Amino acid sequence: MTAQPTKDAPRGLAAHWPLAAFTVAAVLVPILLSGNRYLAFVAGMTLLHILWATGMNLLYGYTGLMPLMFAGLAGISAYFVVNLTSMGWSFWLALPVGTLAASIAGTILGLPSLRLKGFYFTLCSLVIQTVITLGFVYFASITNGDTGISQIPPPSIPGGGELTGLGYEIVIAVMAVIGIAVLMLIVRSSFGRRLAAIREDDGLAETLGINVTYQKLAAFFIGSLYAGVGGALYAPYIGFISPRSFDVLISMNIWLMVAFGGRGTIWGPVFGAMLLAPIPFLLQDYYTVKDILYGVLIIAVTILMPGGLASGFKRKAPKAEIAKDAPSRQLDQRSAA
Amino acid sequence: MSNANLIILFSTLSTGLILGAIFALVAAGVTIVYGSIWMPNAANGQFFVLAALFGWTMTVGWGLNPWIAALLVIGVSVPLSYILEILLIRRFYDVPNRNISYFVLSLGITQILAGIYAITYGRWSDQFQLPPLVNGITLIGPFPIANNRLMVLAIAIALLAALFILLRYHRYGRALRAVFQNRDAATLRGVNVKAIYSLSFILGNAVIFAGGVLFALAYSFDLTVAWTMAITAFAIMIIGGPGSVLGALVVGMVFGFTQAIVSIFASPTIAAFSYLGAMLLILLFKPSGVFAR
Repeated sequence: MTAQPTKDAPRGLAAHWPLAAFTVAAVLVPILLSGNRYLAFVAGMTLLHILWATGMNLLYGYTGLMPLMFAGLAGISAYFVVNLTSMGWSFWLALPVGTLAASIAGTILGLPSLRLKGFYFTLCSLVIQTVITLGFVYFASITNGDTGISQIPPPSIPGGGELTGLGYEIVIAVMAVIGIAVLMLIVRSSFGRRLAAIREDDGLAETLGINVTYQKLAAFFIGSLYAGVGGALYAPYIGFISPRSFDVLISMNIWLMVAFGGRGTIWGPVFGAMLLAPIPFLLQDYYTVKDILYGVLIIAVTILMPGGLASGFKRKAPKAEIAKDAPSRQLDQRSAA
Repeated sequence: MSNANLIILFSTLSTGLILGAIFALVAAGVTIVYGSIWMPNAANGQFFVLAALFGWTMTVGWGLNPWIAALLVIGVSVPLSYILEILLIRRFYDVPNRNISYFVLSLGITQILAGIYAITYGRWSDQFQLPPLVNGITLIGPFPIANNRLMVLAIAIALLAALFILLRYHRYGRALRAVFQNRDAATLRGVNVKAIYSLSFILGNAVIFAGGVLFALAYSFDLTVAWTMAITAFAIMIIGGPGSVLGALVVGMVFGFTQAIVSIFASPTIAAFSYLGAMLLILLFKPSGVFAR
């Protein structure tokens, strides 16, 4: 489907059936698996990773930045939520606060992307991720250091009772669906096309009159929202967080889901997460095999797209429908004005 | 200054020198590889630990003499690097912007090696200690220092000096610097760029392996050293200027002393924070590094 992001793009049911199908599947799978608590939990974790991968996709796939501090941002949100709820806050109040904290942190930590490109930004984000992980270990009064925080209570439901099991999976599923829908909206908007222009060539985007600074920071703010919501939901769902839950390997794995599935497409990263996220849980007995397997996949992805990591879509032109469209549209607007 | 303070000062100095020399070796290895093939090797810490673990297996496991083991470990790195170069590294030589591909690739290697260590060595022990190269203690004035650590320091400094002379005065070193400055011009002047690439990858890794085995001979180590070393070597490379071996040597020594001093007065985490902060500032304001020409 070479959708032109113009008026003749398919609208209505035809454009939205994948989202509708995904919504049904996301809600149905946990329900069907609810007989086996463990498999339902794996489904819930997969949905959570779909949410994360979608956020990473906005930054890596559509804006061309590779933020290796993504898991760290999720961790900031998770620690906020755990500490606020232990102080007596409602989870439903702590979730937006933690998410906002992750977003603000993400926007500030995204500032280096204005000066650094490609490898240098990725290295910088790796350093930031390492600092965040060290911070989680070092400020033990808040985070309980390397030991981590266990027995995180499940969120309470306003009407009474606790959100656990199937209910929790449905909430995650709804969040994943909202996340994908928001990304679809962004990609179709002029904001999304400006991001794609920045991804292809931010110098050119600047000369076309796009405020690169503002767009990049906005992308970081929104992308970090995904990390934040995911982190906030992660902590009470799994019941245990530690600095290792949000270290650089987790960031790499989320990146791998995006790159493996196909960056810059809505559904590629979703499939990437579906395939890769359940592996560590299904291989519980051979837990470290996961590291080796993910490492091999990272190398495979890198070999299969040697130029693709840095410069996007030059080798896969057909998928770059938005990228090709954005500059010409911008040019048209300028010449018409 | 009281006697106790003097002893602390002296032990800080000796630790700083040994750590600094090892940091400088590893960072030089990383920067040689980056300077030639443009590969930011994030797996350097895993290579470092691999060398240490090989050394441990050979001495403690097989009962080899530590001198022979150290030489064998460095020798083994050559075929291993060459195989890796043929399998993975060579494919990217002509890719523009290959540094990010290499970076991700080396993170993948990091993950594989970390997984392998966790399955194998991680099950046996969490602290590894090698037998000393030489026994006994030397008194320098009133201060005792193990002969073993003095020997490690001497070897590390000798290796650094040899490396520096090789890169400065030997034909290979001149060719390497020419390739770093301008690959096309070097080709026109008759430098076999691909051969220089292979050689540099092997040399850089051999230097990292030497650093790893020397570290294992001087101190006991665990598997978490890998990531700390990787980040430290990167910080040294970025601050010293990517591709600048002189920068790696100077900044490596500075980092060694910082680590030794800060670890006494505060926690090692503070030292790590300060490296990373310095690296971020350099990245943002002078990405070519302090020693870049």
